[in-house]
Amino acid sequence: MVQTAISTLNFKQAALALLPIGANFEACLSCGLCSSGCPASGLENMDPRKFIRMAMLGMNEELSNTPWIWICTLCKRCEYVCPMNIDVSKLVFLARSNWPQDHKPKGIVRSCEMTRSTDTTSAMGMSPADFEFVVTDVLEEVRAKQPEFRHLQAPIDKHGAHFFVNQNSREPMSEPDEMVPLWKIFDIVGADWTYASKGWAAENFCMFSGNQEAWKQVIEKRVNAVNDLGCEVWLNTECGHSYYTMWHGIERFGLQANFRLESIVTYYAQWIREGLLPVDARWNTKNIKFTVQDPCMIVRKSYGDAIADDMRFVVKTLVGADNFIDMQPNRSANYCCGGGGGALQAGMTEHRRNYGKRKFDQIEATGAAYVLTPCHNCHSQMHDIGQFYGGHYGIVHLWTLICLSLGILGKNEQLYLGADLLV
Amino acid sequence: MQHTQQSTRHFTTELAVIGSGIAGFAASIFALNRGISTAQVGNTGAVAYTTGYLDLLGQPDGVPHTMTDPWQALQTLRTSSPQHPLSRIAATDIQQAFAEFTAFLTEFGLTYTSPGKQNIMALSPIGTLKPTLCVPLTMAAGPQALADKAACVIVDIHGLKGFSGTEMVANLRTQWPALSTRRISFPDMERGEVYPEVMARALQVPATRARLAELLKGVAGHATVMGLPAILGMHDPDQVHAELERLTGLTIFEIPTMPPAVAGLRLRELFEQALPQRGATLIPQQKVTALTLAADAATLELSDSYGAIRIHAQAVILATGRFLSGGLDAHPDGITEHLLNLPVTQPSSRAEWYRERYTDPRGHPIHRAGIEVDHRFRPLRKDTSIFHERLFAVGSILAHHDWIRSRSGAGIAIATAYQAVVGAQRFIKKPE
Repeated sequence: MVQTAISTLNFKQAALALLPIGANFEACLSCGLCSSGCPASGLENMDPRKFIRMAMLGMNEELSNTPWIWICTLCKRCEYVCPMNIDVSKLVFLARSNWPQDHKPKGIVRSCEMTRSTDTTSAMGMSPADFEFVVTDVLEEVRAKQPEFRHLQAPIDKHGAHFFVNQNSREPMSEPDEMVPLWKIFDIVGADWTYASKGWAAENFCMFSGNQEAWKQVIEKRVNAVNDLGCEVWLNTECGHSYYTMWHGIERFGLQANFRLESIVTYYAQWIREGLLPVDARWNTKNIKFTVQDPCMIVRKSYGDAIADDMRFVVKTLVGADNFIDMQPNRSANYCCGGGGGALQAGMTEHRRNYGKRKFDQIEATGAAYVLTPCHNCHSQMHDIGQFYGGHYGIVHLWTLICLSLGILGKNEQLYLGADLLV
Repeated sequence: MQHTQQSTRHFTTELAVIGSGIAGFAASIFALNRGISTAQVGNTGAVAYTTGYLDLLGQPDGVPHTMTDPWQALQTLRTSSPQHPLSRIAATDIQQAFAEFTAFLTEFGLTYTSPGKQNIMALSPIGTLKPTLCVPLTMAAGPQALADKAACVIVDIHGLKGFSGTEMVANLRTQWPALSTRRISFPDMERGEVYPEVMARALQVPATRARLAELLKGVAGHATVMGLPAILGMHDPDQVHAELERLTGLTIFEIPTMPPAVAGLRLRELFEQALPQRGATLIPQQKVTALTLAADAATLELSDSYGAIRIHAQAVILATGRFLSGGLDAHPDGITEHLLNLPVTQPSSRAEWYRERYTDPRGHPIHRAGIEVDHRFRPLRKDTSIFHERLFAVGSILAHHDWIRSRSGAGIAIATAYQAVVGAQRFIKKPE
């Protein structure tokens, strides 16, 4: 099959159109702070500084064709450390958009196609009926096997529920028991919540593919689903980019959203502060050490440090302040793990692992036995680099540890726990 | 109705600091130490350009002559340049400011030498010497080894740009005959360009330290002292430094590198973590877009990616820097102050900004342009009345200094911030 050629983009011209008045890519001082702090530097002989300089020099053909745009995870750390606030990811996204579909990494394109193939917007193509079946099936099993949760609920399409809860497809598709700790938490705090048969899925690889029209369609479906159910809050559960893609998508495409967007991390913190979630660290008698990975998508790219501080409050309460070791650097200055931007689907495994070596070192430097993170891509990438580079740490969802602390973690809900934590 | 623009977040604080360079951070530190609640806004990026050395006064204004006694130099400055920011602050206050600032850094794992009576002749990455007051502990053995003329090897690294052992040795050979150089490849970074930041972070891992220590022992020869580019850890350099000395049995010192360098990044990351830990509200990536001053209150407007922010404060310290950081704007017809359009003392026309020779030892008039202040560092109007009694200006934005030429950047930043905080304290009303 003959592939469509990649057209040459005029990056400088495009950059000028992208920027707010007064901002300027030519303000780049070439100091290299961006490249110095970017794990993708050097891969495919490219780095953020080089990208900007080449754009300003009009090297459009080279930039239009470099595969580096699929190694960059669009994490915006370059912008964060830049004294002039230059956002390289804007140009990278533009380059992604410019690639013909048949050139783009197949995994990302396929995930986007799957997302668009069903009303659930699941990147794994899970249909509304399958989702309902899995939720019902898992719920029945919990009710049957865990008598203290005989009353547990997992509503679907409940009109007027306070929370519209999203879910990464990996849970219902591959590890359905991982949904249960979340349901239990909602039960404990008495949350009024619902899943939806439509638009429940979290992930959005259409955004990563650079296909803006598809990104918009996916977000429209989700926004309509929440509007239709009349929920007050769209609650993003432990998945990083799903928050950003929805929050930024609504603004970018000017969509009508009659609800607030919130992260479950904020609510974990609130419920603990209010005493609704009576967790503590007494279970951690072995003083097992934990660290956290700040998902770029909800910290640096969306909420800022406020949510990172909430996450630390939750984790310190859960494991004990003395058993929490912060990763360096952290919060808005954190490093992307290398699993963002669609990298896990892009098929460039060697590059992804080279990128992830920085994160691996940062995890190793903490000496922690576990990394907690409210992000699926972070979870998968840190798991993979841990195995690849010979690490000995585990990766755990916050919901698992919350239920562990509350003494309500079921036998099937301990997938990511090591022997030291098994109940 | 779009809900993506979340409602405006309001912060109420006693003191607002605008700017996140050394001056801004110093102001926040002094305020926190005095129990003043503080909110600080500003892009922290440019802090990463600092060498990590904290200069007080290394050269008399306009004369290329190195001063070994900065306190004596200050006395001279008071006579020769009475309008210089440092001429307006008592030496005891400057001493106190440096002591407090370095104590704060030391508390957070970045130990500094105490401000002494003499300047330290610190090493630059090209093997020149620079008079400075305080240096990070990880760099302290360098000037000592030079003074002792100790057998020392400078180790540089394959792929690291802007740091050449050969160049250092060439420039220092006459005064340091026992200096030599060797080159190594950093573990797992044998190919391509390597950045100090990447090596520093890798050295946070004990296994990497052990591998580097073996390489260093292999090139030490008969030397007992070794100089390395500043790469010894990012978060807790004291510990990484001590560990490498233990593993190699050598006395090791760091030398600052060209940007993007580690010494400045350490400060940046320390500030970004330590200030919130001490209770400050820090918004590190954004710039204030508007500042409104009422009789007894100020409002700062800004926004981050999440939406609009308003900060309500009782007093404001302006530490917005000069042209690079956006405190001052240069136009064809003159220089303006960015946020409040404060009057800027400046050459009468653009033609007079620079002298004919770039290297003219007297410096260039534009570098002395800036904001006029009263003795409490409050900006003045053209008629010399105070712009607002609760507004203070500190750091490089001030007029009548040439901080690069006089090696006094940190000194001006830290000492003026100290004075402004002491001044602002008078206006801050504690809740009953």
